[in-house]
Amino acid sequence: MSAAIRPSDAPALLRLRGIQKAFVPGRPVLRSLDLEIRAGEIHALLGENGAGKSTLMNVCAGLVRPDAGRMEIAGQQVDFRHFGPAAALACGIGMVHQHSSLISALTVEENFSFGRSRGFWFRSADETRRLEGLCQDFGFEVPLRTRVEDLSVGQRQRAEILRVLDRGARLLILDEPTSVLTPGETELLFPALRRLRDAGHGLIFISHKLSEVEDLADRVSVIRRGEVVETEFTDALDARTLGRLMLGRESSELAPPRAAAAAQAGSRSRPQAISPGGPAEGTDPVLRLRGVSAKGLREASALRQIHLDVRAGEILGVAGIDGNGQRELEEVLAGLRPITTGSVEVDGLEVHPAANSLRRLGVSHLSGDRERAGLVAGLDLTSNWILKDAYHGSRFFPRGVLRRPLARRSVEQAIERYRIAPADPDADIAILSGGNAQKLAVARELDSTPHLLIAVNPTRGLDVTSAHFVHERLLELRDGGAAVLLISTELEEVLGLSDRIVALVRGEICPVPAEADRALLGAIMLGRDESR
Amino acid sequence: MEALLEAAIRLSLPLLVAALGELIVERAGLINIGTEGMMLCGAFAGYAVAVSTGSPVAGVMGAVVVGLAVGSLFAFFAVVRRVDQIVVGTAINLLALGATGLAARSLYHGSAPSAPGFAPVAVPFLSELPFVGAVLFRHTPYVYLAGLLALTIGIWFAHTRGGLRLRAVGESARSADSQGVRVNAFRIGAVLAGSALAAVAGSILTLAQSHVFTEGMTAGRGFIALTIVIFGRWSASGVTLAALFFGAAVALQHRVQARGVDIPYQVTLMLPYVLTLMVLAFGSRGSGGPSDLGRAYRREAR
Amino acid sequence: MNAPAIDRRKFGSRASSGLFELLRPLLAVAVAFAVAGLVLALFGYSPGAALTALLRGSFGSPNAWTATLQKTGPLLLTGLAVTLCFRCGAWNIGAEGQLYAGALSATWIATWLLPGAPAVLLVPALALAGAAGGALWGSIAGGLRATRGVSEVISTILLNFIAIQIVSLAVHGPLQEASGAYPQSEAFPAAARLPAIARIHLGLPIALMLAFGSAFLLFRTALGLRMRAVGLSALASRFAGIRAERHLVLALALGGGLAGLAGAFEVAGVTGRLFERLSPGYGYTAIAVALLARLHPIALIPSALLFGMLEAGGGAMQREAGIPSVAADLVKGMVILLSVGFAVAKQGPRALGAPDAVDEGEKGT
Repeated sequence: MSAAIRPSDAPALLRLRGIQKAFVPGRPVLRSLDLEIRAGEIHALLGENGAGKSTLMNVCAGLVRPDAGRMEIAGQQVDFRHFGPAAALACGIGMVHQHSSLISALTVEENFSFGRSRGFWFRSADETRRLEGLCQDFGFEVPLRTRVEDLSVGQRQRAEILRVLDRGARLLILDEPTSVLTPGETELLFPALRRLRDAGHGLIFISHKLSEVEDLADRVSVIRRGEVVETEFTDALDARTLGRLMLGRESSELAPPRAAAAAQAGSRSRPQAISPGGPAEGTDPVLRLRGVSAKGLREASALRQIHLDVRAGEILGVAGIDGNGQRELEEVLAGLRPITTGSVEVDGLEVHPAANSLRRLGVSHLSGDRERAGLVAGLDLTSNWILKDAYHGSRFFPRGVLRRPLARRSVEQAIERYRIAPADPDADIAILSGGNAQKLAVARELDSTPHLLIAVNPTRGLDVTSAHFVHERLLELRDGGAAVLLISTELEEVLGLSDRIVALVRGEICPVPAEADRALLGAIMLGRDESR
Repeated sequence: MEALLEAAIRLSLPLLVAALGELIVERAGLINIGTEGMMLCGAFAGYAVAVSTGSPVAGVMGAVVVGLAVGSLFAFFAVVRRVDQIVVGTAINLLALGATGLAARSLYHGSAPSAPGFAPVAVPFLSELPFVGAVLFRHTPYVYLAGLLALTIGIWFAHTRGGLRLRAVGESARSADSQGVRVNAFRIGAVLAGSALAAVAGSILTLAQSHVFTEGMTAGRGFIALTIVIFGRWSASGVTLAALFFGAAVALQHRVQARGVDIPYQVTLMLPYVLTLMVLAFGSRGSGGPSDLGRAYRREAR
Repeated sequence: MNAPAIDRRKFGSRASSGLFELLRPLLAVAVAFAVAGLVLALFGYSPGAALTALLRGSFGSPNAWTATLQKTGPLLLTGLAVTLCFRCGAWNIGAEGQLYAGALSATWIATWLLPGAPAVLLVPALALAGAAGGALWGSIAGGLRATRGVSEVISTILLNFIAIQIVSLAVHGPLQEASGAYPQSEAFPAAARLPAIARIHLGLPIALMLAFGSAFLLFRTALGLRMRAVGLSALASRFAGIRAERHLVLALALGGGLAGLAGAFEVAGVTGRLFERLSPGYGYTAIAVALLARLHPIALIPSALLFGMLEAGGGAMQREAGIPSVAADLVKGMVILLSVGFAVAKQGPRALGAPDAVDEGEKGT
């Protein structure tokens, strides 16, 4: 391993060879990844959630150390042992984060200035002049003396870009830059990025939007399961090809029971054929969303006029790339996010989730995130088991007072049936592994025999066995006549379990036509409907 | 009227100095409700050293040393061990009460020798100016120094890199850390500065105002200092004005009582707290001080 | 201003051995005493004499016992107030003010509104009034937190001072004794005095019952479970269908009510009238009591007893051994630091985030 690269004259050429990284042994996020970025190009990175894009970017920016592989910056090999974010910046790699790392209460120039080591007074005429010069060169317009919290989102982002430029970045990494912007702000950003490219900088940007990739990028690399599957000039690729590249043909290791059974029996079943995503005929829906809009964490994930129907005895799968409104939809259904228009109906009755307890309406909610699943670390298993029934008049608290033997018996049964370990009702739930905690959550949600289950990324972070288990329970529930709304960023999961599929793209529900194959689905998820 | 303003400045002094100290601490992201205890320690230390050496200046030095010592205790538990700052502050108040009470009894056995103090110093020429001269320029040296201090702190925060870094630490320790600012070092430094100032503020009570030490003599002034920081919106100029305001309120109330007007003194005493509550309740939500206020910081593993 | 977030630390989880958890508070107390003894020696007092006087003054005679138990009562009640609030994620530093608010309400009932009523009516009335007064006082902070996001740490401290001044106003004015000799209320009519046995008034057994009641509430009822959940994770509890903000207000009201009751019992059971400086800082000491008891209502009983002993014995220490009673404050402060300062794994209540805590940043893959 040669010495760490010297900070001085670093050109923008970046080369990665054979990069590998596994955060959990046995589950690699990056497997032997090769990539090359040239000076004077805008290079897009396309890929599903979990494909490894963010990890790859973090490797480049010095935030994550790879297990194996080589990286060259301007021909100089990097010694990963000494390659932290400061070193990355010194070598000319600047990361522009999705969530601004600027301190909101400080002004723009203050933010730039406090990281520097020299000088007693923070504001110097030279620095100010240089910053203004940068602004002019690239057509940015960033008011330096304004507090960051008073800037628009677009201005904040440009300030971020300015910051890395100020530190001498030649290669800029932008993580989904337009996800926080309105279309108008995007129009301001792109010319600036092009000017940067024309000035000889290299830009990597992660995106899910086909239109952007086509509009902005010179070349695009598709990442799937930790490897780059294709690198090509943008004008040589079309939407379907990109979709296919992104999603692949073969099924993954996360083979849901149905697909396995179907493969064995050879019977007609998923994952190849997908039913129409629009409202199906027949009985009244158990869950109906009509024109539901809600403010989002970001511009891109705000819900816009959502129409959804879920009927008894079906699993409706909502596919989509993370950040397109899944969290917001989950929160609306859990009663934690107010809706600005539209209505939510359960069994034909309009509900205001914030006011009602959905549990008492027979609606259960399952999430792959412990806290969002309503599991409280610090409470024991029994307490977590009965937590959603912690109200006066429930079966465990008929007069507001706990029926201990009943609760204990109940949780013990669940522990045994679902083989939860450690099998101790008094153990703090925080010591349970992800799989076991999720089993408890599943057990709890199903125990109340809901007739509507909302499952959000139910197998996130689980090992294959646990994930299988969860899938089987969902199918069982469906076969028993319940309605299931499955919102998941794991496409395999959605494909394998759903009777009908829709896609959630930028806060809108996009129907998925009957004969859609993976390529088309991928294209839809990317924002381009090729069926027209 | 001149006398009123002059009194206002005089009475607000200990509050101002303590509040300036707490300002530094809070801008770094910590809450020190132990300011009360630190003031008390400073009051005693200043008194004791001045009595034994005969020099009020030595008294102030003594107060500073003691303030730093108590501040180290706070820094150790609150920054290094990351114990909740409220808890540590409460403990320090109790410890201060106990330690100063004990020390006072053991040293003076109930007698109360008078400490040599600072006499008002008239600034040459400026003190002759009509009106302004009487109000501003005939105070004990503490006042001039406090004024200078407020100015310095204000400039330091607004214009220097060090002050900027401190503010960054208080707003977002994580961001500051990622930019290479040594968060804990700044925090510990802020705590030490704040406690030294609180102790000096306490010494004002025994060296410039009452010249004797009595148990628990700070009587809540430390908490008022906290209130002043909030009321003054975490800026040096705001804090100065707020302190003057409170001082004026007390001065006014003395006046009013002397004239026999029937506003109960309790109302005046209550006023700072009520006003602060209202400011908190009806002020804009975002104006709650440094964003990371009260949060312990632990760097997460890469 | 956001409430200060507290590092999550484990609180008596099964992971750590039960025995060591029991020993730790005892260790903290022992070390605190040892260090206090050292400091005393430093100042030329005899630690031995101090300790003897302390013990004699707190347990050495029936009078001593009485004094100790008299102090234990309010400490237990205010300790409960602090405990319930902390468990729900609300930092209640205002038990002192809530105590005064309760004392004021009780005095108003007993000396102004219903001075002629029979005991069977008057005693419950003033107790209820005390609880109501304290609950109201606590709700102010709770309401400010729930509606305007004002940190209850600051608001409860401010309300302490305001309450003390209001009491001062009252005893200098409308509630002052007819003779106008001192700033204090009329003496409580005999009917308003709490029944007592050997000067240990009804307040103490009630406090004990309330301690058991609080334990029952916290660990055996739906409400208690919800409160604990909110204190541990507001976000998770929201997803579990619990309305976190409401529970916060409720906790402060409940806590305020308990502290107010302590105030009512002080005036009706011990002092017989209201005056300034009614409380020697019970509301603040309560924080030490609660932390030493690791926020468990039953453990509060021995903890309050210990601190009651310090209060009572401190007075004796001063009278008999000439050691200033403030030395007891030294011990209190050290107990706090030692019981929380060196814990390896401990859990305090996790403060609630701002109301839109659901809007936390996303984490990418």
